[in-house]
Amino acid sequence: MTPPLLRLSGVGKDYAKLDTNAAGRVRLVFDLLRGRGVAHAFRALDDVGFELAAGESLGVIGENGAGKSTLLKIAAGVITPTRGSVDVHGRVGALLELGSGFHPEYSGLDNIDLAAALLGLAPAEIAAKRDEIVAFADLGEHIDEPIKHYSSGMVVRLGFAVATALTPDILITDEVLAVGDESFQKKCIAWMENYLADGGTLLLCSHSMYHVQKLCRNALWLKDGRVARYGDAPGVTQAYLAYHEEKAASARRPVATPQAGAAGAYAIQSLTLEPVARVRADESLTVRGEVFSPDDRVPVVLVGLVRADGTPVYGVATDMDGVVPQRIGARRFSFAITFPRLPLLPGKYFVRAHALDPEGVRLFDNLEEDFVVEGTSRELGLVRIDHGWESGGPPPGES
Amino acid sequence: MASAPRPVALGTFAPETASRLARHRALFANFFRRELFSRYLGSVTGIAWALVHPLALLAVYQFVFTTVFRTGPLNGKSFLVFVAIALWPWLAAQEALMRGTVSIAGYAGLIRKVAFPHELVIYASVAATMALQFVGYVVVLIVLALFGEPVRFEGLVLAVPLWIIIGVAVMGLTLALAALQVFIRDVEHILMPVLMILMYLTPILYPLSLVPEQMKPWVAANPFGYIVDRLRDALLDGRLAVGWGDAVAVLVALALFAGGRWIFLRLSPHFEDFV
Repeated sequence: MTPPLLRLSGVGKDYAKLDTNAAGRVRLVFDLLRGRGVAHAFRALDDVGFELAAGESLGVIGENGAGKSTLLKIAAGVITPTRGSVDVHGRVGALLELGSGFHPEYSGLDNIDLAAALLGLAPAEIAAKRDEIVAFADLGEHIDEPIKHYSSGMVVRLGFAVATALTPDILITDEVLAVGDESFQKKCIAWMENYLADGGTLLLCSHSMYHVQKLCRNALWLKDGRVARYGDAPGVTQAYLAYHEEKAASARRPVATPQAGAAGAYAIQSLTLEPVARVRADESLTVRGEVFSPDDRVPVVLVGLVRADGTPVYGVATDMDGVVPQRIGARRFSFAITFPRLPLLPGKYFVRAHALDPEGVRLFDNLEEDFVVEGTSRELGLVRIDHGWESGGPPPGES
Repeated sequence: MASAPRPVALGTFAPETASRLARHRALFANFFRRELFSRYLGSVTGIAWALVHPLALLAVYQFVFTTVFRTGPLNGKSFLVFVAIALWPWLAAQEALMRGTVSIAGYAGLIRKVAFPHELVIYASVAATMALQFVGYVVVLIVLALFGEPVRFEGLVLAVPLWIIIGVAVMGLTLALAALQVFIRDVEHILMPVLMILMYLTPILYPLSLVPEQMKPWVAANPFGYIVDRLRDALLDGRLAVGWGDAVAVLVALALFAGGRWIFLRLSPHFEDFV
């Protein structure tokens, strides 16, 4: 079996907390010289591991400050991890931040030479590749001007052109696709798709779930320097989005105060889902529960589907459909509702059941149960709506 | 987790050592050109300045010491040629040390974003300064010879290795100081006065024979003084014989290099966080 191109195991990185006083600086240098860890450290990464085999693609996602850039720099060999090991087999092309390592005083052409030398190309190889790079960057006569006169978009174009023209075994790239104009972004995405189709290996860091889902098979979610989740891209990105939706919702929504148990109130006493917690898109979902009726009259039950951030998707009550909950004992009723071929798009949702009085007017109590819709769909929105395209033939690239 | 940090395999971009060396050579060449052109030759008058500067300085010394102070011949040689032969290597070493010490900052962008051996920066910086200063040295020797000074050009056979010894020692010192400079910015400010003091404590503007007897061992212990003596032997007297002292000089230079490199390699993994 061929070893993976890139393997990180148990990688951690501590950054020294900067001492402002001179004595602290001197002590830090002595600690480093003696090969000891730094005394006051900020743990940027802890126990991160993954493997990247040839032809695989991994997207790293996470909030700002989660350690994404540090992880990419470690994978690219720019910084040494404090703990753990990094094994690289193959040529790494890293495009980290704007204009990786360009010299502002140098012209575009000189910087191409420098970047190629950094990647280990012999002068003859550099000369052969130069025209190709110049053509891809498409900067016109600016290529002879110092980089410091470039706009940020032009720097990224040159950087991307350099990193890609040398066809690395592994391409490591940061949030750079977000820069550059529309047509250049398209060019980059097209290049990456070709690169991946030709068996290239990609380690991408992006805030765009769209890019991660489109370009990466696997994803790794970093949270506070640790791996929150690592797996197939759709699953991880959905979990990540759900986390954000919940975060946004908890910041917005005041905590509901159900009047459960209050005398004389109708109350949902239990709520169960089938299947539990996870349902694949297009499978059916059944919601069962019991409701308490203080005066033994048959209550109305309202069941709603709500996305994790609180956006209502659909709600329906027993009285709307002309049904009634089933009596299962004194003042106790049960209900069950099935959603066949659930059309929800992948993501995190709640089922929220409300107990209403028999008139269906007063809303008393609610109980929530969350679940995740799994799937690989990249469709946008909340629900899948039946549709049909008029197609002009097979997609390009397929024959 | 109590496990000791394992050695990390980084930079295994090119598995075979040979190709890694080739990669580093190409990078060194690029850095060397960058140092040479951006620092000396980038400006319009660059090339001229690199040659005019040593000659102008020499003219000033000639004026101050022989015209104003009326310094007579030293060790049977005119003051000018006696000083020039020793002063140049010192100025070269001093400039290489000072430029090299702050050179890491100029590569901050690269160090933060690209994986490469940081020591190449120091090698390129020191080598560029020393190489250019050596050219200046030869120009000075030629000019002195044209003015009728007794310069023995066959002495270059020994002078070149001596310059290389200086270069190796300076690289070692620069590696250490440059690494420290990243963490402690005071290094560059302390360096200038220290070098100034050391220059006057080294037998450059005076021969060792004029030093009072009780202080002589201290001045003679200065390794740079030994190199300076050897340069005068070779270029003024044409004495080319090699002795044990030279072997010691080589060992001292190599020891300085090894020690400086050890410090640099200990600190350089942390540069990214501090530059």
